[in-house]
Amino acid sequence: MQDHLSKIWKGPIGLIASIAVLILLFSVLNPRFASVENLQNVLFQVSVPLIILVGTSMVILMGSIDLSAQGVMGAAGMTWILLSPNTRLEIDLGIWAWVAALGLGLLLGLATGVIYAKLRVPSFVVTLGTWYVGLGIGIILYGNGMLPSLTDEALARWPTRLTLGLPNSFWLAAFVAVAGALVMQFTHLGRGILAIGNNELIARSSGLPVSLMKVSVFGLAGLLSALAGILATMQLGSGSPDIGNGQLFTVIPAAVIGGTALSGGEGGMMRSTLGVFLLIILNNGLVLAGINPDYQSGVFGAILIVAIVAVAWPERSRLKVAK
Amino acid sequence: MNLPAKLREMASWHTMSPLLVFLAMLLTVSVLNSAYLGPLGISIVTASAAPILLVALGQAMVLNIGSIDLSNAAISLLGSILLALALPSLGIGSLLAILLLLTLIGAINGAIVAYTQVPSFALTLGTLGILQTAALVASGAETIYVSENRELVTMFYTYKLANAPLTFWIGVAVAVLYWFVLRFTVLGQNMTAVGKNETGAIFSAVPNRLVKIVTFAISGFTGGLAGLSIVAQAGSASTSGLGSNLLLPGIAAALVGGTSISGGLTNPINVVFGALTVAFVPIAIQAIGAGAEAQSLVYGIFIILVVALTTARTRDAVIK
Repeated sequence: MQDHLSKIWKGPIGLIASIAVLILLFSVLNPRFASVENLQNVLFQVSVPLIILVGTSMVILMGSIDLSAQGVMGAAGMTWILLSPNTRLEIDLGIWAWVAALGLGLLLGLATGVIYAKLRVPSFVVTLGTWYVGLGIGIILYGNGMLPSLTDEALARWPTRLTLGLPNSFWLAAFVAVAGALVMQFTHLGRGILAIGNNELIARSSGLPVSLMKVSVFGLAGLLSALAGILATMQLGSGSPDIGNGQLFTVIPAAVIGGTALSGGEGGMMRSTLGVFLLIILNNGLVLAGINPDYQSGVFGAILIVAIVAVAWPERSRLKVAK
Repeated sequence: MNLPAKLREMASWHTMSPLLVFLAMLLTVSVLNSAYLGPLGISIVTASAAPILLVALGQAMVLNIGSIDLSNAAISLLGSILLALALPSLGIGSLLAILLLLTLIGAINGAIVAYTQVPSFALTLGTLGILQTAALVASGAETIYVSENRELVTMFYTYKLANAPLTFWIGVAVAVLYWFVLRFTVLGQNMTAVGKNETGAIFSAVPNRLVKIVTFAISGFTGGLAGLSIVAQAGSASTSGLGSNLLLPGIAAALVGGTSISGGLTNPINVVFGALTVAFVPIAIQAIGAGAEAQSLVYGIFIILVVALTTARTRDAVIK
């Protein structure tokens, strides 16, 4: 029975049910919650954490951890806005602004991967370092000048503009999430990530290119964080090194609630996606229900604790080692 | 070179490196700009090192059992706010009550980790969120000035010994105490045993759950002392002011102090040098002539570099 319950909790059914209950509850509390505008707003808010989550999930599934997203976002967001039409510089590199910003994220990710896989520094420490390095690059780019704001109306409006009734931000995020799910399901890399997360020694002795895969996954995570940084900058309309503030707090609980084991090897992209939806809907609903935003981190924290305890509860044993 | 000698060499490099890194930094600064090494410089560095050191010591103890406490900086921030709120009416008794409360919060962290067997990383990320909200609500998101009985705590900062404030020396005393506990008591040896090999420790009848609860309680208690040092220095407390950003410097100081992130290896006395090094980074950047904007960048490179240099590598180990 306990087994059965835990399966339901971990599977998507439990998550979808929780989301449905939340939607019902919030609609009763405030009729505005269920309006089309608000649902579009929820999708708008989901996009940035969802893009980060695709990369971070891959890293966690591999058994490592990635804390660097907020920093990489700051670096890439600042790079992008300074090279796009803005109030500070007269340069407009167009597509090359994207290439430069995404390239910087990719580079930071690859460097992280090489230091982790080759110098064998624990991923927690390397990505903590990359977080600060990215933040530092963002701060240096920001300098002491004036706030760089987007001057191109079309670019600034792009994230909120609707295509087929849904905001463009969400289309971008959904595309990334589906691509991520396909990579996990149907490619050597995706299967390799799970194999490494399950048992790295066996994966290595079976001839998997473990180091190469680690470097690729961190490179991909860096690239996606950079994309999230650009999107968040576009959504805000101006650049800031702190553009990613608080994302870690959404992304990691979302992955865990989605049933991704922090020890690696277990979980999936679609379930993590549902985790993001749950958290963002909860946050949006609480704000509409008139609850002080100060409580947000407390509510997220409490949910994280309940989720991890519920997931770990059936698997307790005297000999289990949880770090 | 034969194997034992090689191991010895590795061990000594590992023991000495935090001190060497600190001395190297000191040397760089003294060559570039010796003005920073006067009495004023020492008092500035030790003052900013004090809260980092206290948070780092708690973190080092938790890292030593193979876990991590992401909530301890939030514990110290909540502690500083509660202290600033309670001090005017309750006096010094409030300090003891708050230390007790924070130790209890730490123990609850430890009990949840021990009995539900969840990863400490995720659990303490959750407690971090709850404590942040608690701090915001308790302070009403405003700066709490200690209106009365202020000198009861500020004396910990104004009283200086060899140019360093008392808060720093409290940190040093706690470091020596923790070193003694780890080296000479059964409890301390049990902690290290759990960190080195938890399964082995369980089979050897080490009370691993108790060890976790006590270690997290220690982290809460030391976080409380860090909160005290914040109020002592600022004379006030707020969620965005002094001491609101101690988590990462605390972890960095523990790591630079030679603590292994995978558990079973720490030396609290070396953490003192780790904290001094971390506190020295902003000053070193200024001495080199780079702008304050470069601080985060240098922190990041520094953490990676120091850990890459000091981390112990064995051929077959899986690094997560």
